[in-house]
Amino acid sequence: MMNDIGASAEEWLSVGDIELEVIRRGTGRPVLLLHGMQNVDPRARFLDLLGKRAEIIAPSHPGFGHSARPADFDTVYDLVHLYLEVLDALPYERVTLVGLSFGGWLAAEIAIKCCHRIDRLVLVDAFGIKISDRETPDILDVFNTSPQEVQRRSWHDPGKWGPDFNAMSDDEIVVRARNWDALCLYGWYPYMYNPQLKRWLRRITRPTLLLWGASDGIVKPSVGRAYSALIPGSRFELIAEAGHHPEIEQPDAFVDRIVAFLEH
Amino acid sequence: MDVWYHNENPYPFVPQEVLDRADSVRASLPNKYCDPQIAADLFEETLDEFMLCDDLGVNVVAIEHHAGINSLFGANPLILGILARQTRKVRILSMGTLISLRPDPVRVAEEYATADVISRGRLDIGFVKSGASEMASNNANPVNNIERYWEAIDLVTKALTSQEGPFSWEGKHYTHRHVNIWPRPWQQPHPPLWAATGDPETASEVGRRGMVNVLVLRGEEGTKRAWAAYRQARTEAGLPKVMTDHFAYAALVYVGDTHEEGVQVGSKLLWFLNTSLKMAPQYAQFLPGAVPSQFAPQVYRTVPKPNARAEGEAGGNRAGVADAEKLVAPAILNVGGLTSINAAQAMERGILFAGSPDTVYQQIMDFYGKVGGFGHLVMIGRSGFMTHAEAEKGIKLFAKEVLPRLKEIAPVTAG
Repeated sequence: MMNDIGASAEEWLSVGDIELEVIRRGTGRPVLLLHGMQNVDPRARFLDLLGKRAEIIAPSHPGFGHSARPADFDTVYDLVHLYLEVLDALPYERVTLVGLSFGGWLAAEIAIKCCHRIDRLVLVDAFGIKISDRETPDILDVFNTSPQEVQRRSWHDPGKWGPDFNAMSDDEIVVRARNWDALCLYGWYPYMYNPQLKRWLRRITRPTLLLWGASDGIVKPSVGRAYSALIPGSRFELIAEAGHHPEIEQPDAFVDRIVAFLEH
Repeated sequence: MDVWYHNENPYPFVPQEVLDRADSVRASLPNKYCDPQIAADLFEETLDEFMLCDDLGVNVVAIEHHAGINSLFGANPLILGILARQTRKVRILSMGTLISLRPDPVRVAEEYATADVISRGRLDIGFVKSGASEMASNNANPVNNIERYWEAIDLVTKALTSQEGPFSWEGKHYTHRHVNIWPRPWQQPHPPLWAATGDPETASEVGRRGMVNVLVLRGEEGTKRAWAAYRQARTEAGLPKVMTDHFAYAALVYVGDTHEEGVQVGSKLLWFLNTSLKMAPQYAQFLPGAVPSQFAPQVYRTVPKPNARAEGEAGGNRAGVADAEKLVAPAILNVGGLTSINAAQAMERGILFAGSPDTVYQQIMDFYGKVGGFGHLVMIGRSGFMTHAEAEKGIKLFAKEVLPRLKEIAPVTAG
């Protein structure tokens, strides 16, 4: 299956001994896009919209999409160090780093380690930090919550965007299952955040945008505001009528905000 | 053949409308529905059944499950401690502390060694892979559960057998730099080790290690498949054949005075399948790692794929689940097919042995013949709304009329 590129994988990116499925789209300033709970769907409209102004490089993390996961490659820090190598491998002095959801956590971790390779940073409905008290989770436990509730809290308009497994191809479902397993492996404990991350966010000195779906019930906008307060000079913006996946639910507004931030 | 009495100590007294409304009767059902006074009575009854077994020469099993109506035995070592002290004759199988869910296997080894010493060497140690709602209840990552399972067994075994002072363990999932348990176990080199699994890959490793492989409610096909994998793995590894006492089968068992009474009362055991298995999808088909991703199309779809060919394509839903069950056989798929089973079907499939002493003996021996023999029968003798009195009657009849006949079956070389 790993060698079956299928409809979803457009290219492959070699980093050391790891082969990543990667979507490349558009021309312009380089944008490394780190996906969230699902790998990026190459049919997603925001790719074409953003591709008019940027060169998008969107790999599937090891274990997600069709990217293989090496044995014992199973922590967020394996992913972070892998993407440090990706930055070294790309032919650009600096790239803009855009992280969605779980990928937003990765982007924040990468930025505190490697700011000099980053042009601008965009964290979208990002995981990675805990702000509330010990009995108030900031990030919905998607594994121990009913699929209907996860669905309800994922979207501004849940009726429109739910996954319909009956309508998916076998390959699409296999990819969903791989994504689910990989997300669980990397993010189970501590659940989707690094207790030490808040302390080091001050190291991020590049222009940073925190972009949040106003209706996100997976990780609420208050987390985005807290992130912004911890990253010096950063901006926080909401996207109306969008939940945890503004890039899917409001692709025009999503791309407009990013382009405005990149070009202002 | 040895026989082991098993009562999970279920808590069936939650109003049916509450159970119907809940999406899961495990992990997430609020404990306000568990009355501690009723629970205390249930513990007393169950422990009394174990004591009766001690009098009658039937070994006993203490299991562990968390946060559900199916079992109040969330803390296996506590039950084990009671049994180690209060029983005097029979063997005690812990099946078990859910080993991949406990953060420190060294503590588990300490508990097991203690129970073995208190019982003066009457302990058998069973390892259960866990899954499903246990992961939520124990904060345990389901994806690498099997890695933890084997590493924990390795560490427990070394802790039980190491006698020359502290050793260090820096494994992938467990680190413990100074392991030196007191007391060491009574039995040398260590108590017998069991593993409950039906999936062929795990059964193969159980075979290479020479542990007792116990199959729970798997029926003929699933049991034969696992034990074939066990034997084949030993052959491939150049290991000698084992005796049938390396194989155990767990079924619902009830003996009445007459066949009709045995079936009628024994049917109450089906509550375990019909009622106590209800699990929300996040603990079942959508639990990460529940099935290898290539089987997800069969498990995620609720209706067959349109235009799916009858064979060769992973489209048809139920047929696909059956394929997945054959190949990977996770317990989650096995139980999924059992929730609506009735007594006749359960007896046909070797999941329920019920009737008079003669007919139960015959059912057990028929199944014994079909699967190639086994040295241990685990009798799940009480569940659901079966009363304490009914359970004790079944135990007494079984011990008097069936057990002596089964005891005559000596272990033979398997396969």
